[in-house]
Amino acid sequence: MLQAINLHKKFKTKEVVRQVNMQLEAGESVGLIGPNGAGKSTTISMLSSLIMPTSGDVEWQGVSITKNPESLRKVLGIVPQEIALYPELSARENLAFFGRIYGLKGPTLNERIEEVLQKIGLTDRQKDIVKTFSGGMKRRLNIGAALLHKPSILIMDEPTVGIDPQSRAYILDTVKQLVEEGMTLLYTSHYMEEVELLCDKIYIMDQGAIIAHGTKDELKSLVSDNQTIELKAHILSTKFESALINQFPKATVRKEEDLLTVTLAKSEEPLATIFALAANNDVMITSAIVKIPTLEDVFLNLTGRALRD
Amino acid sequence: MLFSLIGKQMKMLIRNKQPLIILLVMPIVLITILSLALAGVMDNGAEEAIQARLVLVDESTWEKEKASIQEFLEKEGIIGPPLEALLTQIENNNPIQLLENNILASSEIEKYISVVHKKPEDLDTIRQDKEVDGILSVPPSFRLNYVKSAYFDKQIEPDLDLYLSQENEIRASIIQSVISEWQYGFTQSLALSKAGLPIEEVMGNTKKVEKVEQVLEDHEREIPSSIYYTVGMLVMFALYVPAFLAGFALQEVQWKVYDRLILAGVSSTLYTLSIFITGTLVALVQQIIMLSYGKFALKIEWIGLEGMIVIVLSYSIFVGGLAALLTTLQFRSKSDGILNAFNGFVVSIFAFLGGSFINIGDISETLANIGDFTPNGAAMTAILSIQKGEELAVIWPFMAVLYGYVSLCVLLAIVLFPRRGVTV
Repeated sequence: MLQAINLHKKFKTKEVVRQVNMQLEAGESVGLIGPNGAGKSTTISMLSSLIMPTSGDVEWQGVSITKNPESLRKVLGIVPQEIALYPELSARENLAFFGRIYGLKGPTLNERIEEVLQKIGLTDRQKDIVKTFSGGMKRRLNIGAALLHKPSILIMDEPTVGIDPQSRAYILDTVKQLVEEGMTLLYTSHYMEEVELLCDKIYIMDQGAIIAHGTKDELKSLVSDNQTIELKAHILSTKFESALINQFPKATVRKEEDLLTVTLAKSEEPLATIFALAANNDVMITSAIVKIPTLEDVFLNLTGRALRD
Repeated sequence: MLFSLIGKQMKMLIRNKQPLIILLVMPIVLITILSLALAGVMDNGAEEAIQARLVLVDESTWEKEKASIQEFLEKEGIIGPPLEALLTQIENNNPIQLLENNILASSEIEKYISVVHKKPEDLDTIRQDKEVDGILSVPPSFRLNYVKSAYFDKQIEPDLDLYLSQENEIRASIIQSVISEWQYGFTQSLALSKAGLPIEEVMGNTKKVEKVEQVLEDHEREIPSSIYYTVGMLVMFALYVPAFLAGFALQEVQWKVYDRLILAGVSSTLYTLSIFITGTLVALVQQIIMLSYGKFALKIEWIGLEGMIVIVLSYSIFVGGLAALLTTLQFRSKSDGILNAFNGFVVSIFAFLGGSFINIGDISETLANIGDFTPNGAAMTAILSIQKGEELAVIWPFMAVLYGYVSLCVLLAIVLFPRRGVTV
């Protein structure tokens, strides 16, 4: 089991991570979500023994990795947000290099390279220089480089940032397959749908702290007493928005272009009132959707902000 | 693991155009331009080859003299089988035979003296030829006189005519030193062979090679612009090797590849060692390429191989140490500011003080002395000293300066390397 205990990290005077407690059991897939700058990357750097916490500790199998990082490092694969590859080398040369530094050699190394190339779908492009690859191919190879030494824990930091939908789907399928094969996974992202798809347990992080954690259902139950209504209109006036807030003081109202999202208690019967307020404020509603709660709603409910704000 | 790291760094260098241009193309272009542009200012005549040209005019061939020698021996009462045996011995061991076949044809002497055979009637023409450094003329009765003098104590001097050109003092001296040693050898030969030493041994090459080396040491060779700028650019551009390697190392940190290395158990010591070795190898290859360019394209004759190997290898080791130190400093500063300062400022100052562009000694002796304490300046002065024909011992103070820098770089690289990981 990998465990973060009261992890705290301060860079000069700025507190980047505050009292984070996390647990990863063997074979579990855990998501760490939060907006950019929430402290996710710093947290995983501490969890993977790459940077030292200011206070707190990380334990692997009950042993502190701040003092003995080697035991964790041997079984850890890390996929950083950056493309951690050598652009001037070919895909195969990159994999061979990373394999060798993990002590693989000869037929074992070649066999392992073939397996990984197949898994990430780059067998046909193995001899090509990495800098000629598309963003999606680089991301796939970035994952492959972390898998060569058959790690039992895989930490992935935003592995699908900036790539096309097809590559993203391929990567998600690959990761899903790894999880099904029993890999322990810590997956950070600000794409809620990816975390929902891949992870059993989710930690939500904001401004350096874990603000909620649990299974998907547990987190959704946090907002299950609420309902979210998405309204679309030709022109959404500020007057109408103010009228809604006055009418439903406990509701969260958020405007994004021609979409107005209202989250409020399920006990209220708001639709008739909303339409009446719209008519009074000369707003013509073109659609109204009552949504089932998502993790995005959970985050919105907890922070008052959307994940990608 | 170490070899994988070195191999990867080598591939990164080779597959990047910028390092190849700066480390190889630029110095070669500059060597060519500066050598040609400043040849008129620096060169007192063309670069002088060390190999001397000796013309041998033998008027006393064995075929011509055999009959007269036989006649003389018979008159002395040697007949029958002893006569035949003595004739065979004289044919095989006469001094001219030994000079041509054992001394001048030997690989040690061949690199210093090339021999051309000419007829006596060509003598006048040959003396006008400025390409000829010496003419050894063997008179018609030389072999007979030698037999009379050496075997029968007759008071006849077996004279030879040695003409030495005034065009090139060093080459003429090389010929003179070898011929004098040989003459001394053959006058002593019989007495010594009577004492049981074979004539070939008495007249062996060792002493003659030593004499040639002595000549080269005694005569300081002029340094033409081609040698000066090949050495100047070689020591200057080797200083860019550490900057490239340290730059790649910083990229590894920025791309988070360094994190992968740390997780794989690559220690900071191993990583720094790999940079050190790569720097040394790249600098070595770079210098060999430039020296070869000088040899084949500019027709430079590099002399003092031993000294050159010591200097080039030592300077390469210094470059490796500097690469390790710059990498460490970059890791501490987490930016390329140090590299920019090094490339833009330190290399220029060192190149100026070290004399890569102008002989700083012409401006100020104090600056030249300071320049000799820069690593590139020390290496350059050492190489130029060897190329002037000075003895090997002259390089040791400069090597001490280089190894002082190596020790300092390695020590600082170890002490200053960030112990708690490197992140950006």
